Amino acid sequence: MSVAELKERHIAATATVNALRERLKQRRQALLDTDVAGYARSHGKTAICFGSTDLVCCRTLQGHTGKVYSLDWTLERNRIVSASQDGRLIVWNALTSQKTHAIKLHCAWVMTCAFAPNGQSVACGGLDSACSIFNLNSQVDRDGNIPISRILTGHKGYVSSCQFVPDQETRLITSSGDQTCVLWDVTTGQRISVFGGEFPSGHTTDVLSVSINSSNSNMFVSGSCDATARLWDTRIASRAVRTYHGHEGDVNAVKFFPDGQRFGTGSNDGTCRLFDMRTGHQLQIYSQQHGNNDNDVPIATSIAFSISGRLLFAGYSNGDCYAWDTLVAEVVLNLGSLQNSHEGRISCLGLSADGSALCTGSWDKNLKIWAFGGHRRVI
Amino acid sequence: MERRAKKMLPAVSPPPAVDSADYSFAIEYHGPPVPYEIPEAIPIEIERIPVAAVAAPSALPDPLSLPVVQPLPSPGPLKKPSKSGRLAADPAGASPTSVIENHAAMDRLDSVEVSGEVGSSGVLESAGFPDRSAELSEGIGSSGAVGFSSELKEGEGFEGFSEGIHSSGVLGFSGEVKEGEGFEGSSEGTGSSGVVGFSSEFKEGEGLEGSPNDMVHGRISTESALSSEFDFRSSASGDDEAFDTQAKKAVLVTFQDSAQSSGSASPAIGLTPRGRMEESGMRVPKGACYRCLKGNRFTEKEACLACDAKYCNGCVLRAMGSMPEGRKCVSCIGSSIMETKREKLGKSSRMLKRLLSSSEVQLVMKAEKDCEANQLRPEDICVNGKKLTQEEMVLLQSCPCPPSKLKPGYYWYDKVSGFWGQQGHKPDKIISPHLNVGGSIMRNASNGNTGILINGREITKVELQMLKWAGVQCAGNPHFWVNADGTYQEEGQKNIKGQIWGKPTMKLLCSVLSLPIPSKPANPSGEELDNMVNRAVPDYLEQKTLQRILLVGYHGSGTSTIFKQAKFLYRSIPFSEDELQDIKLMVQSNIYNYLGILLEGRERFEEESLAEKRKNQQLRSSGTRNKELDEHDDTTEYSIGPRLKAFSDWLLKVMASGNLEAIFPAATREYAPLVEELWNDAAIQATYRRRRELPLLPSVASYFLERVVDISRVEYEPTDKDILYADGITSSNGLACTDFFSSQLAADGSGNDDADQQDTLLIRYQLIRLHAKGLGENCKWLDMFDDVRLVIFCVALSDYDEYYEDANGVAINKMLESKRFFESVVGHPSFYQMDFLLILNKFDLLEQKIDMTPLTVCEWFDDFDPVVSRHHYSNSRSINNCATMAQHAFHYIAVKFKKLFCSLTGRKLYVTLANGLDSDSVDVALRYAREIIKWEDERLVFSSSESFYSTEPSSYSP
Repeated sequence: MSVAELKERHIAATATVNALRERLKQRRQALLDTDVAGYARSHGKTAICFGSTDLVCCRTLQGHTGKVYSLDWTLERNRIVSASQDGRLIVWNALTSQKTHAIKLHCAWVMTCAFAPNGQSVACGGLDSACSIFNLNSQVDRDGNIPISRILTGHKGYVSSCQFVPDQETRLITSSGDQTCVLWDVTTGQRISVFGGEFPSGHTTDVLSVSINSSNSNMFVSGSCDATARLWDTRIASRAVRTYHGHEGDVNAVKFFPDGQRFGTGSNDGTCRLFDMRTGHQLQIYSQQHGNNDNDVPIATSIAFSISGRLLFAGYSNGDCYAWDTLVAEVVLNLGSLQNSHEGRISCLGLSADGSALCTGSWDKNLKIWAFGGHRRVI
Repeated sequence: MERRAKKMLPAVSPPPAVDSADYSFAIEYHGPPVPYEIPEAIPIEIERIPVAAVAAPSALPDPLSLPVVQPLPSPGPLKKPSKSGRLAADPAGASPTSVIENHAAMDRLDSVEVSGEVGSSGVLESAGFPDRSAELSEGIGSSGAVGFSSELKEGEGFEGFSEGIHSSGVLGFSGEVKEGEGFEGSSEGTGSSGVVGFSSEFKEGEGLEGSPNDMVHGRISTESALSSEFDFRSSASGDDEAFDTQAKKAVLVTFQDSAQSSGSASPAIGLTPRGRMEESGMRVPKGACYRCLKGNRFTEKEACLACDAKYCNGCVLRAMGSMPEGRKCVSCIGSSIMETKREKLGKSSRMLKRLLSSSEVQLVMKAEKDCEANQLRPEDICVNGKKLTQEEMVLLQSCPCPPSKLKPGYYWYDKVSGFWGQQGHKPDKIISPHLNVGGSIMRNASNGNTGILINGREITKVELQMLKWAGVQCAGNPHFWVNADGTYQEEGQKNIKGQIWGKPTMKLLCSVLSLPIPSKPANPSGEELDNMVNRAVPDYLEQKTLQRILLVGYHGSGTSTIFKQAKFLYRSIPFSEDELQDIKLMVQSNIYNYLGILLEGRERFEEESLAEKRKNQQLRSSGTRNKELDEHDDTTEYSIGPRLKAFSDWLLKVMASGNLEAIFPAATREYAPLVEELWNDAAIQATYRRRRELPLLPSVASYFLERVVDISRVEYEPTDKDILYADGITSSNGLACTDFFSSQLAADGSGNDDADQQDTLLIRYQLIRLHAKGLGENCKWLDMFDDVRLVIFCVALSDYDEYYEDANGVAINKMLESKRFFESVVGHPSFYQMDFLLILNKFDLLEQKIDMTPLTVCEWFDDFDPVVSRHHYSNSRSINNCATMAQHAFHYIAVKFKKLFCSLTGRKLYVTLANGLDSDSVDVALRYAREIIKWEDERLVFSSSESFYSTEPSSYSP
């Protein structure tokens, strides 16, 4: 078979795939008779009432000298690790708002950080295309720096996101600019499996974020610059379980819904969406009406669900941080308009394990912890 | 769909009956009954979904369950612009009378409103100044007048306080104090909410509930307070008055705010607008905590380094937040510390140790010592009658032997010998000599009266004594010239007369006279550059002195070569062991890659020649390949033996599966002999001769392939040239950066005067090289580099006739792709007003190919029509003219990019020429980059005053 013939067939096959995808999209559209908000409204649900004192900024974590890019909570003991452009990882005690560790990184351009489930080590990754693991208990060296305990190399592009597998201390999943996600064995530093890349069902451009299903840690979802999110099974590296279309821009953030059956996404197109994991349907769009000018739509940089899933917190590039009522798709609170709010882009946010506090990190170099105030209970 | 939606509904409403099948996906089954059991989707119990479920309060960690974390007592919303409406009548510099007028005006306003508001103001006041002594409870319960009067008569003790209570006569609030109630009352009436909000500010979550009856009286009490205020004005001294005006204002504003923003009156900790305690009108009873106002002189407290506000055990963490600059109130962050407290910097207190874990304390202390705001300000230090600049300060503190315990003040410094002392006093220490700080030393610097001069300074009696003991002839008031090593000579004479520190007893004698002796440098002053690079610089200095330069370019533009050249040029040890190992691995895996391409080509050539053979020799029936091999000598040119064939197949298979790196470095050891055999095989050599027909083989491949036997050995060490020629820097395509000092610039830059030399020594440059792919789609991560000073964009001049195939198989001109990348980098919002230097790289390749392929091949350059070439086209074969042609092309392309840059930003683009493999041209280009940075710095300084600077930073003509 000649090359020209092969090419022709390839083009024809691509066209077929695209046509089928279009049909699938239309079919989905036809089946999608309602969304969460429409259904909730038809049953008389109203948005939960949220006063401006119900969520208050109770701590400001100051100490970074550069833009904060990422943060993560421990599962217990209320500590936060944050990564900043100043080339440091800082581990905070969220209760006293003090730093417990400041780790100077070899490569200052760090994009992501994560706490290990046992809270003893932290991982970070960035433009150096490697994921570095630090053991918080290890002895500091001469200059007072914590040495790298393990470095995971093998990615061919920047490491955009990393997360430890919740129930396995030694497993870590990273996503990278080389279009792949990788499951690592932290103790040996070896790749266990690579998701995407060579395989046709992988992401076609940079992968930006991952989120591991909390109820079934074999499943994880990834969001990418190709405007899709993909679901993966760590036991089957060869192909993506499902691909979720819908966004019109880079998917910057993915996060599983607390029940593990749905997940949310935040995207460059300024919207957040809720997808059903099993059917692949888009359940709801969360978007604010903006002006006609498409260019100044703030992009959704990071998302997090409250512990019940009723609230979706989404950080935006203009410094807003909305709390969406996931049921009726209304903004019930804008943290950006509250007192003591951030002055720059919200780059990352995360909920503590018990759901009682929200931490936001911003380009204004600070992190803030928000807690449910007064008689308002954690929802 | 509906079912999914239903699952998310809260538990309150019963699930509606699904009577119609409208929204179900499935079609109803009408066939015969099925024998097996149909799997059923069991509906989720709605009650069990944790929507709005109450998390057990006990499960929550304590401080988080009380989330209204006590805000700072300074009136947080004080400077909120939205509240300024009624405030507008109260300008910042208002005279006391105007404040009073305002107050009166507001009173009138208030009278229309719920009077409770006024009452609340009073309570607020009283809550502001209570002493936790006996009067306290009364103060809270009583009306606003208490607050005012207590403030007025503060200096006179508490008589005024009790007086205030009497003068009001009416109790503003019944004032039930409920411990731990938090903000419970905040949703009640406007007036009371204000009260609750603010009282809880001061009293840690205590709530106040006022009965409406009392609120009515509150208004009256305010008036009485007002009258007492007048009294105060008349009696107070001017100074105090101004101060109190401010305080008064703050109080008024606070009140306004509490009345208006009912319900939202919960300013939280952390972001109180910057205002000192004094400004907010707080008067703290002596010895009490500034925040909770409890305690006395004897309770342990921590003081703010900047404003000396003292906080007790319970308040210190709230008042100081996360202490990014050590022990300072949140509002003091960024302001410099009190000089009296400099001694305490970095010394932890028992209280902090009790409150925080040891690692936390350690970090706070580290931050306290290292943060920029806590450093000595250079203008506070005066050396030889001249205030220091920032650079001089850095120089002084980073020298090998710095003056210890530097305090603000006047000093003298003997640059020749390194003597250092306070103005008017004997020498205090011998620091590193030859530091270019401060002015020149004066004769009376140490206020000596002996008539003997050392390096132009009249020495003190003690020093004279020391000189005598050292055996120096001091008769006739000689003028000495003392060097840093202690040798001395008389002024105007050549011969060295002796050594002051020669005798071993001198050190003892000096300590008797409390004179300094030369100390061993803490870190030996290595003149070597690399030493300076590796020396640990404090963070605050690092950020000041580090100039970052970003080097980007499209794939294949030679950024990595330039980066490696920079390392060779500016670092004494260009590559560390690890890096060398990495490069070795990379070169070795590359060579296998090249071999693979060769082998692929070999297969193709073999097939082609076989086919040709078949055509030529029609009569022979096409037998097996082996047979053919035997029969046709010329086909064997590309054929290899079975052993090598197996290796070749294996290598190609590994390459095709894309895990070439995975099998390294183990493969090198195993296959080195095979590679040698393969390379020496005639078939490979024949293929190699036809390498021009292999488009995938990069031009540098031949350099490595010719040395493949050496390279594939285990003990191979890459040479400098190998490193330079190797593709890329790291195997992972990650970011690479290197630091270097620009002393080269000072050393051989001819036009630099002394001042320039000094500050170039300090500037550290960091060259960051980033792969185009590393920036992500649409330069997504470029915002990480908004702190760079200059972007060097690299374009390979030879790209104009080169193409690459994108994913769809469309050939795209590399130059156009470079242009597109350039546009997106330049247009990125993070690089607004950034300076760009364009390096047009690979000039040598351009020279080679410009005659063979015209520049107009690239559609962007289709109007390239050099004038010179038309004139002298006849003799364009001559070498001279050829170069001119390339020069023309370079200038043309430079102008193209400049125009493009100008149309995008409206600014000027700097362009230079380079040839990555030629270290001199890279040096010139990078020096040009540094000059641009320097020039931009100077332009900022001088632009306001005079503009004699030309618009071109230097006279480098590329």
